[in-house]
Amino acid sequence: MKLYDQIFNVVKQFRKLFSPGPVTNADVSGSITAEIFLIVSLVLSAILLRHVSILLAGLVTLILAIVLISNIPLIPKFKIEQEDSLEKMLFYAVVTLALIATFMYWGGNLV
Amino acid sequence: MIMVQIVILMTSAALIVIGLYSAIFIDNIIKKIIGISFIEEGVNLFIVTLGYKAGGVVPILMPGMDPAWFAANAAAPLPFGLVLTSIVIGASTLAVMLALVMVLYRRYHTLSTKVMLADTSKREEYDE
Amino acid sequence: MNELIPLMVIVPLIAALLISTISRFNTVTKVFTFVVALCLPLIPILSNYGLHYFGGYEPMLDTVSGVIYHPAITYSFTFLQQIFIGAVGLLTFLVVFIYLTKYKKVSGPYLFLLFLGTAAVTAMMLTDDIFHMFVFFEILALAQVGIVAASSIDYSYEMALKYMVLGSIGSPIMLLGIGFLLALTGSVNVTDIAVAVHNGLVDVTSPVFLLSLALIFFGWLYASGLPPFHTIKSGIYSKAEPHGAALLQSFTVISMISIVMIMFRIYASLPIFEVLIVFFSILAMILGVSLALTQTDFRRMIGFLAVGELGFIGLGIGLGTNFSITAGLFQALNEIIITALLFIGFGAIVNATNEVDTRKLGGLLAYHPKVAIMLLIAGLAMAGVPPLSGFQSKLMLVQASLSCGFPEISILAIMVSIATFVVFVKTYYTMFLKPKPNDLNLEGKEVPKAMIFAMAVLLIIVVLLGIFPDMATGGISNFVGGIL
Repeated sequence: MKLYDQIFNVVKQFRKLFSPGPVTNADVSGSITAEIFLIVSLVLSAILLRHVSILLAGLVTLILAIVLISNIPLIPKFKIEQEDSLEKMLFYAVVTLALIATFMYWGGNLV
Repeated sequence: MIMVQIVILMTSAALIVIGLYSAIFIDNIIKKIIGISFIEEGVNLFIVTLGYKAGGVVPILMPGMDPAWFAANAAAPLPFGLVLTSIVIGASTLAVMLALVMVLYRRYHTLSTKVMLADTSKREEYDE
Repeated sequence: MNELIPLMVIVPLIAALLISTISRFNTVTKVFTFVVALCLPLIPILSNYGLHYFGGYEPMLDTVSGVIYHPAITYSFTFLQQIFIGAVGLLTFLVVFIYLTKYKKVSGPYLFLLFLGTAAVTAMMLTDDIFHMFVFFEILALAQVGIVAASSIDYSYEMALKYMVLGSIGSPIMLLGIGFLLALTGSVNVTDIAVAVHNGLVDVTSPVFLLSLALIFFGWLYASGLPPFHTIKSGIYSKAEPHGAALLQSFTVISMISIVMIMFRIYASLPIFEVLIVFFSILAMILGVSLALTQTDFRRMIGFLAVGELGFIGLGIGLGTNFSITAGLFQALNEIIITALLFIGFGAIVNATNEVDTRKLGGLLAYHPKVAIMLLIAGLAMAGVPPLSGFQSKLMLVQASLSCGFPEISILAIMVSIATFVVFVKTYYTMFLKPKPNDLNLEGKEVPKAMIFAMAVLLIIVVLLGIFPDMATGGISNFVGGIL
């Protein structure tokens, strides 16, 4: 029953995503699809790490799967981080620039 | 590398970092745009510095100059040409941005980015 | 006729300037605009393949080192350029045609922006000079902002300003990378830089060279709307007029592939380059499609789908083999056509109902059957259903990633295709199939004939490319073989 309650709460929380306005069946099923798609695709892309090290890939995949599944619903959190405000957009743009530049300058020859 | 060049390169790096800082931390949209245009000025300064030559002459071949001497002493002409174009583009971009800010200021009566450029999808009504 | 090569850029540029001066004479402007727009797809078809040196400065041979230098700005025109410039020319024609028939009084500045954008992407596609490309990239950004701000949709000014502010970080950073390349090689000609890199004149492991890649790559992320710029890119699609959005997404795709091909010629010897592209492409696919699933505004949803599909193009180029790059470029061509079809089709619905929220729509199949059927085929093509064009390119991508030894990427690509299909079916159901809400008034509102015509033309191309993919892939494969 615990898992069932958890999933039921997830659906309840989707309601906030669609305010203002009503929530329809199609929207909720779309959100659940997005939820499952997000978990599966992130775990799947973590397997790509096996080209670096098989042990690392196994560990990361397991940890990622556990963290993602125990943190559902993910989509509301994801959507808040990717809303339309300039603050968030600029923040992520500058952080990405800093990460790419740092990674390339010191680690560009490691691959 | 020459001392002058190092100082100029450090200045341009400082300008770029100030620009990136102001992009995140300054709320007033006009100040933010001024800060962001620092990035562009820093990049222009960097490219101009590439063409610098200590004791070099202007890269225009005047009548009576020895071509071999000219080739050895003239500054590199390409970076100047590039920066000139880049400054023109930067000015037009800045003009468009400030024009948009003017329009939005008339609607919101504030220059705060948090109010003016927040997420619009959650707002219910749209007032002219 | 090699003289036609510079005309591909000059004709839309001059036309843009002329239209904004003569726009007070309405009929003259309409006729002139129509004729110029008709010329745009014809010029690349009539032109011969070849090179054009501006100012007539031919390449010079350095007799000491045996290296050829290119002093002039060079335009190179091959099959790849022909097919993409032809596609964007056709799209510009259709969009201008829709615009001219929709309004009695045309706006000179708006047509100016449309033609300016077309000229800019054409120049980006043709040029062999990295700074020339940067200049037209900035002009393109200005044109895009203008097209968004000119629309009558709520909050379009806000979105335009956000795009502009982000652009004024992305573009100078890219210029800084170009400056690093200039410092390392002393040239801005891509062929010269690539020769210098491959002959070992530049140390490819030096941090400066790697940093130049990082900076140009960041500019490319901004140009193509991959994460972290996916929110703003889908935002500007949703705030432009629907026919404008159809053109905007083609601008995005073409600037994406023109910059990535230049980067590929310079940096292909670095393994990290391909890792970076694949990483951001996968991120774009996951984020784009999962966010599209939760949207209720269908224009925003197509915007996110368009960003997700861009990931497929990046994936093909990031895998780095001849077959995969061919598949990626073919996917780019398909995406231009299919997404334009979707934007125009959903734009027709906006036109007929004045409503963008899927929750307030329904039962449109009975009122607009032609639009519904054409949209259904376009959605199937985007999801990759045979025998449509999206199927061919996605099948090639899946095969390419399998043969490169990445079965995970194949599975991911198929999953993203399925999720795309879910997004489309969900929206299609809520708009066309479910019962009509009582407060939705549909009587007496027709879809413009010009939109139906444009959709039909694009649909024919989708079906043709799906049945005869060799028309495009053969020539693209030859081009890719030339740069590898």
